[in-house]
Amino acid sequence: MRTKLATLALIPVFFLLVLGLLNLQLIKGDKYRKLSDKNCIRLIPQLGIRGRISDRNNFVIVDSILSYDVMILPREAGDIDQSLLRLSGILNTPVKDLKENFINNMVSASIPAAVAKNIDAKKAIALEELKIDFPGLVIQPNPIRHYRYGKLACHILGYLNEIDRWRLTKLEDYGYKTKDIVGFGGIEEKYDYYLRQEDGGLSVEVDRKGRFVRVLGFRPPKNGKNIQLTIDMGIQKIAEDVLGERKGSVIVMQPDTGAVLAMVSRPNFNPYIFIKRSEYLLSHVFNNPDAPLFNRSISGAYPPGSVFKAIVSSAGLETGKITLRTVSYCPGYLNVGNHRFNCWSTHGQQGIIDAIAHSCDVFFYRAGLSLGPQMIYEYAVKFGLAKPTGIDLPYEVGGFVPHPLWKKIYRFRNWFNGDTVNLSIGQGDLLVTPLQMTRMMAAFANKGKLATPYLVKAVEEKDISAMQQKITNLGLKAATIEYVRQGLREVVSDAHGTGNILGDLPVSVAGKTGTAEVDGKKSHAWFTGFFPYKDPKFVICVFLEYGGHGLESCILTKEIISRMYREGYIER
Amino acid sequence: MSVKIKILVIALLICVVGVLSIYSSTYQKEGKLWQDIYQRQVFWIFLGILLFLLTSNFNYRGLWDWTYLLYGLAVLLLLLVVFLGIVRLGAQRWLRIVWFNFQPSEIVKLIMVVFLARYFSRKSVDNIDLKADKYGIFKGLIVPFIFTIIPVGLIIDQPDLGSGAIIIFLFVLMLYLGRVKLRHILVFLMVIFLLMPVSWNFLRDYQKDRIMVFLNPNIDPLGAGYTIIQSKIAIGSGGILGKGWLSGTQSQLHFLPESHTDFIFATFAEEWGFFGGVMLMLLYYLLIRQGIYIAECTHDHFGKLLAWGISMLLAVEVVVNLAMNMGFAPVVGLPLPLMSYGGSSVCVTFIALGILVNINKRRAVF
Repeated sequence: MRTKLATLALIPVFFLLVLGLLNLQLIKGDKYRKLSDKNCIRLIPQLGIRGRISDRNNFVIVDSILSYDVMILPREAGDIDQSLLRLSGILNTPVKDLKENFINNMVSASIPAAVAKNIDAKKAIALEELKIDFPGLVIQPNPIRHYRYGKLACHILGYLNEIDRWRLTKLEDYGYKTKDIVGFGGIEEKYDYYLRQEDGGLSVEVDRKGRFVRVLGFRPPKNGKNIQLTIDMGIQKIAEDVLGERKGSVIVMQPDTGAVLAMVSRPNFNPYIFIKRSEYLLSHVFNNPDAPLFNRSISGAYPPGSVFKAIVSSAGLETGKITLRTVSYCPGYLNVGNHRFNCWSTHGQQGIIDAIAHSCDVFFYRAGLSLGPQMIYEYAVKFGLAKPTGIDLPYEVGGFVPHPLWKKIYRFRNWFNGDTVNLSIGQGDLLVTPLQMTRMMAAFANKGKLATPYLVKAVEEKDISAMQQKITNLGLKAATIEYVRQGLREVVSDAHGTGNILGDLPVSVAGKTGTAEVDGKKSHAWFTGFFPYKDPKFVICVFLEYGGHGLESCILTKEIISRMYREGYIER
Repeated sequence: MSVKIKILVIALLICVVGVLSIYSSTYQKEGKLWQDIYQRQVFWIFLGILLFLLTSNFNYRGLWDWTYLLYGLAVLLLLLVVFLGIVRLGAQRWLRIVWFNFQPSEIVKLIMVVFLARYFSRKSVDNIDLKADKYGIFKGLIVPFIFTIIPVGLIIDQPDLGSGAIIIFLFVLMLYLGRVKLRHILVFLMVIFLLMPVSWNFLRDYQKDRIMVFLNPNIDPLGAGYTIIQSKIAIGSGGILGKGWLSGTQSQLHFLPESHTDFIFATFAEEWGFFGGVMLMLLYYLLIRQGIYIAECTHDHFGKLLAWGISMLLAVEVVVNLAMNMGFAPVVGLPLPLMSYGGSSVCVTFIALGILVNINKRRAVF
């Protein structure tokens, strides 16, 4: 009886063992397989190098150099406070900072945590020699951005920083991960996908003590693609020098293609501070009320003032509301309804060409009234206003052109003739970016074609200019363009032209000044023009935020052009 | 096929699988000592077969006469360990004999089976009935317990909690099979149960750790829980078909400690998978079933009880070791019979199988 029971007990016991095996190997098999792989497979990252950015003459603007991070492997470091104290002596950094970095970067005992970033090569070598009696110390070489021209062209380039939550959610599907370094603003952001390196790695099998056993796989790191810009660093430097510390923007562009040769915005910033990560300098940039990170050339929308008259002239000539025979008498003011609109001077008899040259407000008040706001709006849009130009930079704004319907819907008021009068001299609610003005002026330079500005000429040696150039014909009459061009030339060549100061340059310049009034503040100063007049090679736009009279911009333009001439950028 | 051949074939199949696994688990280890380990196991198996052939031809009734001598020898060996034993892995379990290390607790298990089989199969002179039926609590429980607790105490002191616990467990099984009154057995179990909290204080720290870790391996993943976690990973990662011979990362890369001794099953299951594991369990089941078959066919009370004891010894060792490998039992230093590397275990198991075969051969005599 008892023996029977003992015999029978054996079967369920073995059955339970088989069940146990079934549970471990079949039901939980995948989980344990993963754990087993995790046990013995280690990934050693191999860093790739981010693409280089160079100018049109292949001068390198930004590339990458090796910098060194000091890291501590917590598992092997022993007394961490002691190690940090020693490091602080060698690196000349307060222990508090090192400790703080260590705590922020510590992920797990077996992953090195950075305590100091971007130390120079000399210190790295010194530390490397100390490694023997410094357990857990890791010196990690790390490619970082090297800005060869310092602050120059910083708004075009943008800067690099750790990816933020907003970008991460947007880019996650493209393989971006937390802690990735990505471009913020400028080419670095727009072309991040091309510039971005792909880190490779070795997957190795290790034994229990983490010792290397064999290589399981290797993925070579891929360097990012190099990018060549249309920017000419020589012209860029002239423009930056001339603008100095004034707030504003300078753009130089090829009128036929839309290739941007220089683009400056002030105030600017040093992209290196985002690599150095100095809290003081960063907060200085972020808290500056003048917003140095903001690219005024494309993201700043301002009233254009008289520069807008070029568009009103074209509209008038094209629709026949103005002809060469149209003459208007300027007594220094115009009464519209029961409101008197002043001209900035008293011009007397003015034809269209004179009116452009002298920037006669009264002439354009009348022209505007005869065209009507809807027509002005249509021509403004035709010349690329009220929408982004489509330049290959992020965060471009479209500006704004008011029209009666908009006013009705959003301001709950009717459109008055006074509004038309204001609009026809580029005041009121009208807002444009310096780049839009450059583009508009380019259309007169290249005889009626609207070119889309672009910055990237080639990606990894492959010229993409043909794809970048998007040029549409505005379909204006040749005469219209010709008469406005004559007017723009007279601005400079006429003795009383508003841009007369540019007349004694060795190249023939045409253009339009603008003094955009701002309530209660100094006006914005504009000059936008092209040169040489006969066969324009350059369009220029100089904008000074709260810079005063348009003449201020002319003075800077003159200096830029004469320096470009002296340095051989303009064919003699 | 004769029972002898059957037992030998099953045992040898298990041994072959064992040698393959030992070879695999030491394959990546450096040093001549590690590389030769499977050869030494082969040597022990040949020695074991020799001992098997000897004991299968030696009349087991001789053991009846020699029981007290053997018991004395067992206690003597254990005492020698206390005074002369060598310390390895923090325990003093081995005796150095000329050129190999001998683990007396292995043979003591078998001797205790012989001793208890003889004790419970004594007959009175005037009556052919077994005395055990009429034993009171003193003769039925206390006297054999005193005889048992002496070697057990010495073994636990080594410290080798696993072997000690196995002998106590065998003692209970022998009480049960030796027809001691059930209420006496229950009293004994009650006393053990009540003594447990007290005996906790007599355990060494590492033994307490192991029991705590058995209850929850994650409390100390890098210390005492490490072995159990790694063993479960090794077995689990094997999946249905295993990673293949010589390809088990857990054992090859030394994540699994004791991969050629106590945790040989984890090594095997990692490389041969679920099918391999079930096949191995089947082999062990058939082996134990053979032992029970012999026990059931034998009419001699001593032979019957001895065959039962040997079968149960095998069964308990196999089941506890496999359960320990899979994380169902605390980690106690118990080898898997015939598979784990170790001369003492291999030889003693073959001797035990030899005795079984001999009992089978002679059952017709009675």
